[in-house]
Amino acid sequence: MTPSARTIGMLIGIPVLFFLAFFLFPMVVVAVASITDPNGGLTVANYTRILLDQYHWDVLWVTFRIGALTTIACVLIGYPLAWYLVRIVAWAPWRRACIILLIVPLFTSNIVRSFGWMVLLGRNGLVNDTLQALGLIERPVRFLGSELGIVIGLVYILLPFIVLAVGNAVADVDPSLEQASADLGAHPSTSFWTVTFPLSLPGLMAGTVMVFMLAVSAYVTPALLSGGRITVFSMLIFQQYSTVFDFHYGGALSITMLVLTLILVAVAGRIGAAKGA
Amino acid sequence: MTTSLLEIAKLSKRFGGQTALSDVDLKVEQGEFIALLGPSGCGKTTLLRCIAGFLTPDNGSIQIAGDDVTRLPPYLRPLNTVFQNYALFPHMSVADNVAYGPRRKGATKKEALLRAAEALDLVGLSGFADRFPRQLSGGQQQRVALARAIVNRPKLLLLDEPLSALDLKLRKRVQIELKHLQEKLGIAFVFVTHDQEEALTMADRVVVMSGGRIEQVGRGEEIYRAPATRFVADFIGDANLLPCSILPDGSLMTDVGSLRINPKIPPKSGALVAVLRPEQVSLLPDGPMEGLSTAPAVVEDVIHVGSHVIVNVRVGDVVIASRVSGPLPARVVAGARVHVGFRPDDLHLIAD
Repeated sequence: MTPSARTIGMLIGIPVLFFLAFFLFPMVVVAVASITDPNGGLTVANYTRILLDQYHWDVLWVTFRIGALTTIACVLIGYPLAWYLVRIVAWAPWRRACIILLIVPLFTSNIVRSFGWMVLLGRNGLVNDTLQALGLIERPVRFLGSELGIVIGLVYILLPFIVLAVGNAVADVDPSLEQASADLGAHPSTSFWTVTFPLSLPGLMAGTVMVFMLAVSAYVTPALLSGGRITVFSMLIFQQYSTVFDFHYGGALSITMLVLTLILVAVAGRIGAAKGA
Repeated sequence: MTTSLLEIAKLSKRFGGQTALSDVDLKVEQGEFIALLGPSGCGKTTLLRCIAGFLTPDNGSIQIAGDDVTRLPPYLRPLNTVFQNYALFPHMSVADNVAYGPRRKGATKKEALLRAAEALDLVGLSGFADRFPRQLSGGQQQRVALARAIVNRPKLLLLDEPLSALDLKLRKRVQIELKHLQEKLGIAFVFVTHDQEEALTMADRVVVMSGGRIEQVGRGEEIYRAPATRFVADFIGDANLLPCSILPDGSLMTDVGSLRINPKIPPKSGALVAVLRPEQVSLLPDGPMEGLSTAPAVVEDVIHVGSHVIVNVRVGDVVIASRVSGPLPARVVAGARVHVGFRPDDLHLIAD
């Protein structure tokens, strides 16, 4: 029995409707709001206001710098960690325990975890106390209200994403390829850079893009750890929606952010592809 | 005394409680083609991986050209391997795959590519340098793997069931090509296979393994004609295995009648098994024949196998297979009473 046209229509239609309702529709609402004025007329005033104001460019610069630093730190910590979990940890229960430790924090709210870091990174927090006790610093370092603090918080929250993405990619590299490389006379470190690493690049790229996007669009962690001293772009958007109630201007800020992020990711992807070829 | 190219002594390896290799001794000479043959789980792949360095044996030593390499990591061993799944680098072109070895040995990029081109030429893949492994057929990938393994001209090449993924026709052709290439290059091959025909076709010497032990080492024809153990007799080719014993008067008693012991076979004590190949068993529809040891038999079934016919006959409690190459007499049908016979000289005795 072949399914009726009605069944096929439902099978295709329901996911499409779901996508339209929950992904496309809100985006369209925001996009439309960004190019209209309060009276419903079309306008580009919101965009000229953003693009001609140096302040917005400053905030964008800070946002993308924090995003880039977070991404770099995540890659530098996450790649070796993922590689260690997949290739070095031979005992399955230990590997499972490590992965659970990595994932469990994702079950708690960002807010709780960021508050945790506020406690740890405070003037008299555990981090400063420890560094002082070790004699590494003389007086407390200002983490809260600095970009460093925000980066620490974001790295902590986003690390699992890159570890999972890279871990999957490394696990997919057939160990016999590394053996073939060794068989042909390659030192293990050479094997890693000529075989394992290039083959795990797609996973690393996916993880990097994910972390960067989440880092530049993060609101809770930067808001809590900035101590009101640092402004990232998502805070400007939040202000427009929650305090100023200017949905048109807020929408234009959102779209600006989205487009710039996509451009950056596309450029990075292009560079990555060119290097890979 | 000249040293062998590869000398393995008292090699043992256990995985958990499982014995994978036990007290394996083996010598391989320059330019020799050795096949490690056995059913799956017999230890042949474990032995190969110990030689390559991917496994460290628990006991024993491995010497290559007089140097002890037992504890040497794979990248320092003077040999190369063709892997079962070929293990071609998917992100590199065919040329880069083959040039990988020379590059690691310090050749310049240009030099390495030149040598890769030569190696590809040897395996008949000259036009494929710029392709990627995924664009090649299984047979072509196998050739690339071979080219990559011989490009550095190792003295010793290990091959881990390299033809098992190819279809039968192609496999037969590649077997011959591989043998010719091996003779041309003078590289010693240690070739793992579970296919006895492959081993007998290609190898100078066949090493039959079972349960982590070497059962017998010898030329293919030797192993077929004079198997050392019951396992080898059973594993290589088809064999009638007849339990037998030596009577006090020195004659041999089998289930196929009693006969005088073959003077070439030294009398052995204990239980014996006589090995008789189906082609050594004559079917005698018209009764006993002079010069043969014979026994009356009943035809059980007649199996046509294209080029020849296998006739299974029952003699007392045992079923004996006889291979008939010529035309089959008309009266040889299931249930027919016939005689079987064999030349006493053909009987090969092994301790059971």
